[in-house]
Formats: sequence, structure tokens, C-alpha cells
Amino acid sequence: MADKNDKDSKLVGLLAQFDDPDSLISACNEARLAGYKAMDAYSPFPVHGIDPAIGIQRSLLPFLVFCVGFGACFAGLGMQYYTNAADWSPIFPGYAFKISGKPLFSFPANIPVTFEIIVLSSAFATFLGMWGLNKLPMFSNPLHRISRFKRATNDKFFLMIETKDENFNRSETESQLNQWGAVAIEECRQDLTDNQLPSWVRLVGLLGVFLLMLPPVMIFRNMGMTSRSPRLHVVPDMDWQHKEKTQVLSPVMENGEYLFTDERAMRKPVDGSIARGQLEVDSEMYRGVKKDYKAAANSAKTNARLVSASIEDKEDAPVEPDQADQAEDVSMWMTQFPEGVTVDQAFVERGQQRFNIYCSACHGYDGNGNGLVNQRAMALGANGQAQWTAAKSMHDATVKDDSKNPLGRIFDTITNGRNTMGPYGAQIPAEDRWAIVAYVKALQETGIQPATASTETDGADEEKQTDADGGSDKEEKTS
Amino acid sequence: MHETRPAKITSDVVTLNDGHLKAMPLLLGIGVIGLLASFILSMFSSAGGSAFERFSFIYLVNFCFVLSISLGCMFFVIISHLTRAGWNVTVRRLAELFAMCAFPLGILFLVILLPVLMGYDFVYPWNQSGWSAHSIEQAEQIAALDAAAKPPIEQLKGAYLNPMFFSIRAIAYFLIWGAMGAFFLKTSLKQDDSGDVILTKRMQALSAPLLILFAVTIVFSSFDFEMSLSPLWFSTMFPVYFFAGAFMSGLITITLTAMWLQKNGRVTDEITTEHYHDLGKLTFGFVVFWGYIAFSQFLLIWYANIPEETFWYDYRINTTGWGIWSLILVVGHLFIPFLAIMGRTARRNRTFLAGAGIFLLVMHWVDHYWLIMPQMDAYGHVFTFNPLVDIPCAVGMIAIYIAIFCFVAKNRPLVPLKDPRLGEALNHAVH
Repeated sequence: MADKNDKDSKLVGLLAQFDDPDSLISACNEARLAGYKAMDAYSPFPVHGIDPAIGIQRSLLPFLVFCVGFGACFAGLGMQYYTNAADWSPIFPGYAFKISGKPLFSFPANIPVTFEIIVLSSAFATFLGMWGLNKLPMFSNPLHRISRFKRATNDKFFLMIETKDENFNRSETESQLNQWGAVAIEECRQDLTDNQLPSWVRLVGLLGVFLLMLPPVMIFRNMGMTSRSPRLHVVPDMDWQHKEKTQVLSPVMENGEYLFTDERAMRKPVDGSIARGQLEVDSEMYRGVKKDYKAAANSAKTNARLVSASIEDKEDAPVEPDQADQAEDVSMWMTQFPEGVTVDQAFVERGQQRFNIYCSACHGYDGNGNGLVNQRAMALGANGQAQWTAAKSMHDATVKDDSKNPLGRIFDTITNGRNTMGPYGAQIPAEDRWAIVAYVKALQETGIQPATASTETDGADEEKQTDADGGSDKEEKTS
Repeated sequence: MHETRPAKITSDVVTLNDGHLKAMPLLLGIGVIGLLASFILSMFSSAGGSAFERFSFIYLVNFCFVLSISLGCMFFVIISHLTRAGWNVTVRRLAELFAMCAFPLGILFLVILLPVLMGYDFVYPWNQSGWSAHSIEQAEQIAALDAAAKPPIEQLKGAYLNPMFFSIRAIAYFLIWGAMGAFFLKTSLKQDDSGDVILTKRMQALSAPLLILFAVTIVFSSFDFEMSLSPLWFSTMFPVYFFAGAFMSGLITITLTAMWLQKNGRVTDEITTEHYHDLGKLTFGFVVFWGYIAFSQFLLIWYANIPEETFWYDYRINTTGWGIWSLILVVGHLFIPFLAIMGRTARRNRTFLAGAGIFLLVMHWVDHYWLIMPQMDAYGHVFTFNPLVDIPCAVGMIAIYIAIFCFVAKNRPLVPLKDPRLGEALNHAVH
């Protein structure tokens, strides 16, 4: 070793061998006290107390893992926020889709994923951090060229003091190691010759990189091409689901006949069944009918009928006369707001907002019955191009008259429609409907006069229309 | 390398001293005064319900708090034997003593049990004739809709939740816990004299069946004592939640008691920083386990979004007072201790660990308060926290519990003297 030319090899340290862990620890202590810092101990098994003996500080790794885990927590939440709730990015917008009325971003749903991301990142940080701090991967280490060192994995203990230590001195260090009880001391030399990669390795590497680039190139090529072969269905039961689209014919047939007489694929709920949260037993709140009114007693049945009436077809016609009967008895309607509703500034403003959204198109922002739809339809009607009943003014005497048109009846009109006006019960929640009622009453208080245009058009029929609520005469009226 | 210590007790004193034992009547006196003060003050409490109801509820909170500590310690003993653990021998006796305290707690439970037997519904709504989850109007509507309906769930549950069966079960729990606590304590004490290895083997052999028995009793007792306050709420995860908190508080109690004893010159040599470090690790683990279970229970209910289950959380999250209380629980019982006792240095610092332990015990109390108190006014939107009523009751109950501990500990050694694994525990080192 000593005879080796220094041009070919470099001394990196002195390796001292010990026969038992106790002498290794005492030698480490001595070396630390002698001021050596660049040294390392090797043993076949973990030796208790070696860390303080060799002067190893606490590892940075736990702190590193903590930082990565903490960062991953926010990265995970951020990723989910971006994909689920963000739609402001012009290039890669997130999927900010409202599904089943659920909020776009909600913490509880995101915690499991965040948790998993924290665990995964922490595991990677631990593993890669350990490699990094240990300077791995290391393809060769000069220690492995010493045959004696092989027993470090078997039954011997080693201490190496490196030349880069400022206290290192070839002869002095050797005598010190002898003094501390080293059984044998060897030079550890790094081979400086022939440290180039063989040329074929580079060739293979280049070839590998080239081959790796082929798949993405092929994918990009195909992305810009048309194809005549049918697409591959990876998840067939997602592509062909066992369901029918809305408003199509029923697929259930027997001998060429539809099994359902109405021939629809969409089915109504079974008679008497009520969806969760739709029981709506409070007749005052949901129908505007006084609680003690006899016809409202069996409210659940009424409700079921209303449900079926809203997805109306001809077999259910008997509902009509019933409703007409009820409507004639004005005493059934609520004359004040139900208990669940507090009428205040915010409530009326809510009503105004809803009115402007749903009602103003026909009835106009001032409730005078002259919204944009009405104006256009009247114009077309004048040319005989359309049949249209003029939208009602909120300021008509009959509409304003509480004895003829109490609050509950206005509510019912919004809910179920009246004459040519369609029902809005399905679009507007009950509370908002009451808010609209409140706003309508507020509009009526403003003292706006009924628009002359509206009253002139069918002024004669006005009384008749409000008194007779049968839907039959509405067709003839405009003609 | 440090020297190997011989398997021998070297502390001067390994028992409580006479002063501690003489303090027992004083502690009992504080306990009784505290409970009485709480009862009297609850008459003036503005929150809804009668004084009896108010007091019974806060009494149940504190009772479950101390009971869960004993059950946590009992689990510590059983699991030590089941896993043939050596490191914790020096703290196992403390756990055995606390586990034995579960039996005398049965007497304290009479305050809850006797009114139940007499037919009062101070705490448990199922003890009220015609109890129902629905308003009368709703019930009539449902009955009108479906005349051929199945018997209502209240009636079905009545087979389980009735005063007689409830009392039988409660007595059975305390008898079983008493028998289990006594078995481990007596066998361990016998070994102090004889040093017989066969005694350790006997405890190890029985620990597996006793663990099953322990699991059954803790599951059904948590159903009965706490969950049946809301008899129409469903969660099979509730007992695990109860257990997680119980074991965590048991570990903390062992830690704090050991620190207190060592400060008073008892068992000074046997319990080392290594033991505190490992107890701290387990505590940390069960802080996280508690959070995991608490969140799992919440997430399943939140995601399924079924009204029969969500109302329980809805009330605790979306009402004034309880919402903040829930937030305190999440932050204080999970996030703060998670960060506080995660580090090695923190866990090996006794002062810090003691502080964290006391904080966690307070949070454990907050947890039981959160489980029980919102049921008091049957969702009448009343935030019940009133320190004048709640704190005297807590102080009283804890004083009684310490008195029970002193009574159980008497002059018995606070470490196993001749356990075959004593040497392993004395030389326990964590790296």
C-alpha cells in the first residue's frame, strides 16, 4: 500500500480495527476528545451509546419529514380545492361542478385524501431524506477495497478517521489509534485510475432515452389524427349504463306493446309515497291553507295528489275539479303569514330578488303585468301570431282585495299556477314563495295604478277571469 | 455503555406514607362538599331543566370521566400481560391500583342508577313513558300514513333500554370490573412475597379471555351510560371512541401519578425518563387514535347524511356555544397535543410532559362534557356550561377518586417487587 504511487490513489483515512464494541466506544470517545470530527464507526449491529461517543448530532431527518408533511397538508388541500372548486384558470380550469346541491369544497370530504397525501409524502421524505443525508446511492466506497473491512458485517468493529479532518496527521493519528487499543490499522485509499464510464454504457443510456421518448411521441401523433376503428371501451358498464334518459319512450315492451300505458321511460313515484323531506304536513306553510280547514285534514293525501298533479297526465284529471272546489271557498286560505315565517326587511328584500328572477319576466318589475315576455307576446297576439292571456297586474283591485284574494291564495297561485300561469312550486322553495307574497303585498302598497294598456286589452273579462277559476275559459279569452 | 442494573428495588420508600392515607377523610370531605355545592348551585342555574336533572347530568359527566381513567388503566394491565411486556413492569402496579378503583366507583353510580330504578328520567330519556323522537303531530301523521306500520323503534328498543335490564347490566359491569381488577392486583401482590414465575404465567394465560370480557363490558357500558342518552342515535363506533379517550387518559394518569409519587420521594429509582418517554409515546399514539376514530365516526355520518344520525352532530356543531365547544375539542384534544408531544425532546422533558398530561386530562373532561351535556335539554338549544355548577362537581368527583386510590393503595408497594421482568424494566432504554 505504502508503495503505491500517489498519482494513482489518494489517502482518504486510517481504518482501525477493534474486537469488541466496548473498546470501539472508548476509542470513539478518545478520538472525539482528541478533537477529531471527520470520523465514522462501523459495527455489525447497532451499538448503544455510539452516537454520543462519536459526537453525532441529532438527525435532521425528523424535522425534514415534519416540514414535508406539513407542506403536504396544504398541498393536498390545495390540490383538491383546485380540482373541485376552482374555475378561474383559463388553461386548466378545475371541475367546479355543482353535484347534488353539495358544496364545491367541504373540509370533511377532503380530510381522508389530505391525510393520505401527508402519509405518502412523509414516507417519501423519510426514505429519500435518509438516502440524501447518507449520500446514497454511492456506487463505490474505498472502504470496500480493504479485505479486512468485510468483517464489519460479521464480528469486527472499525473506526475510520478521515484525512479531511483538520487534526489528521498520518503518523500521529496512527500512533494515537494504537494507543487507544486498535488491533490493526490500515490505510484507506481511493483509486484514482480508470474512473470513466465505459463507452458502451453511454451508448446504451442514449438508446434508452430515445426509446423512452417513443411512447409519448406516438400518443401525441394519435391525438391529432382521426380513426375509423371504434373506440375502446375500457369501462363498458359506465359507457352503457342501465338507465334511461329523460323524456324517452319506455324500453319495457311485450309483444310489441308498451307495458306501461303512458309509454314513458320516466316513472312516477308509487301512489302515496313521499320522498324524504317532502312530507310537508304543515298545510299553512306549504299550501297556504288554514290548519283547521276541513279539506286540509288529510294533508298527506293532498300532497301526494299535488305531487302527481305536477307530473300530470290525463288519467289524473280528477284532481282538477277538487282543486276548483277548494278554490271557491275563499275562507280556506291563510289571511296572514304562517308561523314559520318572519316578515322583516331582509325577508321582503329576498322576496323582491326572487320576484325579479321568476315573476318579472311576465308581470314586470313593478308588478304591473307588463314584463318583457308579456310585451312581446301581446305584440305577436295583435298580429294573430300567438294566443296569449295578458299577464295579471298586481295592482288590480281584485288582486289587491284581501277578501277575494287572501295571502294563502296568492301563495297557492305561485305554487300551483292559475289560469295560464304555470306552477312555480317545484322551482321556488316554500319560504321563498312566502317572501314573494310579502313582496307582492309590498308592491301593492306603493299605490301604482294598473297599467292602462293591460286593462284595455281585456278589461271586460277582468272580473270574470278572477271570479271563475275554472281553467276552461282561458283559451277562448284571447281569441 | 451504561451498566446493567440488577433486578432489585433500590428506592427507600415504595409505599404511600401515612400522611397520604390520613388525607383520605379530608379528600372525601372535599368530594362530598364539592358535589353538594354543585347540587345547590344547580338550583340557581339558568339553563333549562330541574336542579335534579342539571346535577345528574354533570355528575354523569364527571363519573364517566373518572370511570374511563380506571378502564384505561385496566386495559393497560391486560395488554401488558397479553404482550408479555417487560418495559412497563415498574409502572404496572399503578395501573393495577387504578383499575381496582373501578369497583368502588360502582357505589358512586348509585346516584344515577337509583333514580332510574325509581322511574325518574333525570338523565335517560328512555326512562320516560311515551318517549319518542318525533313531535306528537309528526307521530300522528306517520301513523296515519301507514296504519300497518311496524311497532315503533322506541318500543323495540324498550326491550333493551328499561330500568330493570339497565340496572342488571350496570351491576354486572361493576362486578366484572371488580373481579378483573382484584384478580390482577391480588396475583401481582402475591408475587411480591413469593416471586413465583407461575403467577406471571397465570396472568398471561388469562389476559386473552379477560381482554375479550373487557371489550364486551366497555362496549356495552359506553352504550348504556353515555350513548343511551340519545337512544335513537346510531353509531357502532361510539364504544371505540369511548375506549380511545379512556386509554389515553389512563396512560396520562399513570404518568402523572408516577411523577407525583417521585416528587414525594416514592419509587424514586424505578421509574426513569425512559418509562416516561414510552408512556408519552403511547399517549401520543392514542391522541392520534382518538382523532382518527372521532373523525371516522363524524365522516361516515356526515357523508351518509341520514337525518337519524346527523341530528346528533348537527346540534353539537351548529348551535351557539356547542359549536365553539366542538371546535375547542378538535383543536385541544387533537391538534395542539399532536404538535406538542410529537417530538422526542418534549416527551423526555418531565415538566413539559406533565403539563401536556394535565392539559389532555382537561380535554378528556371536555370530551365527556361534549358527549353528555348537549342531551340535557333534548336539543332545546341551551348551552349548559356554567363553571359554578360544573367545576365544584369535577373537583368533588376527582377528590373522591383520589381518596379511593389512596384507599386501594393503602400500604401496598407501588411497584411489583419480584416480577420476573423487573430487570428488563429497570434496564429499559429507548433510542
